[in-house]
Amino acid sequence: MSGTGPEIPEELHILAGEYVLGALDAAEMRAVRGRARTDAALAAAIAAWERRLAPLAGVVAPQAPPPALWDRLERAIAEVPPEDIAEPRPRPVPVLPRPTAEVLPLVPRQPPPRRKLWPWQLTTAAALALAAGIAVVAFVPQVALRLNLAPEAPRIAALLPTDGKITGGFIAQIRADGSVVLAALPAVAVPSGRDLELWVLRPGEKVPASLGVLPAGGKRVVLPGLPADGTKLLVSVEQPGGSPSGLPTGPVVYAGAVGQLSL
Amino acid sequence: MASDPADLAVLLGQIAAGDRAAFRALYDLQAPRLYAVAMRIVRQGPLASDAVHDALLQVWRNAGRFDLARGNPEAWLVSLVRYRALDIARRRGREVPDDDLPEAIDEDPNPLERLASSRDAAALRGCLGQLEEDRRRLVLMAFVDGLTHNEAAERLKLPLGTVKSWIRRSLQSLRLCLEGAA
Repeated sequence: MSGTGPEIPEELHILAGEYVLGALDAAEMRAVRGRARTDAALAAAIAAWERRLAPLAGVVAPQAPPPALWDRLERAIAEVPPEDIAEPRPRPVPVLPRPTAEVLPLVPRQPPPRRKLWPWQLTTAAALALAAGIAVVAFVPQVALRLNLAPEAPRIAALLPTDGKITGGFIAQIRADGSVVLAALPAVAVPSGRDLELWVLRPGEKVPASLGVLPAGGKRVVLPGLPADGTKLLVSVEQPGGSPSGLPTGPVVYAGAVGQLSL
Repeated sequence: MASDPADLAVLLGQIAAGDRAAFRALYDLQAPRLYAVAMRIVRQGPLASDAVHDALLQVWRNAGRFDLARGNPEAWLVSLVRYRALDIARRRGREVPDDDLPEAIDEDPNPLERLASSRDAAALRGCLGQLEEDRRRLVLMAFVDGLTHNEAAERLKLPLGTVKSWIRRSLQSLRLCLEGAA
């Protein structure tokens, strides 16, 4: 009656409590879980019981897990970036804080697969390229040829829009000499009076490094050292000539990660 | 034993940004407790590992969605692991007979003494203390071992109806007591 939820009927509190306690059998648990997805009152009642009862976990004496558990987790997280199963949420073009950008919104917010992000991005890139058809080939015959003909799986990054309202994108081809050829997909639009700037964010690093202004048609850049798989390439909107601070100051409009092309 | 929720919140923020070192720190801090929680429910090491693995992978993916204003990070972690463990236990059935289990809770004269000294834990301990002893034991057993109504009735050799109504009433009085204390 008082406190957290006067609008929640007693029966719901009890059902939620039984669920959190673990007293329900499999079918009942499934039913409660399913209902909580659409019943906000039940979901709130469950969350409240989770908070109330969580300290009970303290009555169990801690026990070291086998070392193999960490190895397994470490492998698993290497494949999955955070938030990759987030359902698509409309969000504005992310604006980076200045002057130090600690955290970058990187991952395109299209409906992703459950586990593998990079191959999905790559196949999406391939699909985009297919959809764009001859236009892409006309734009970047060299890249298109190499995508089809390279004897070993080439490494590429598909730089896709971070927001559904943005069109265009880039396909970045990573060459053995560390150079990266960026080819534009139709139709990259640069806001008038602004420049696009290319950034590289290596795995484990929090701050991207500038690779200079990126013309709307693409360009070739040489990186200091081959980019590892998972290296992110970002494109932000900056003042003419690029960011004055050495860090992205405008919104990141395209982003993608380096990976092996697997078709 | 319990880690500072503020530390956990900071770690979750870093994990949301893809910080693997923060994830490792969270693992070091929480895995022994979470593994023990899962172990009590699923009763086999490999299954407990599965539960903790799945739950922590979910933390890695969804740390950014954890809402500090609404939830306590520790409660979130415990809940994730318990649900995985409960699902596994319900699906696989319990293959280890009850007799082989350490009955740490039943033997401990006052298991509540082991509760962390946080404010939430203190409130919960106080409210559990107001339940009659056999009901308190039932609630603890249901939570810690993840026993269904049926399993608890078998284990305590009580009629199913009695177990159900004890749990209902215990939940009711716990909630009123905790909300009154808040």
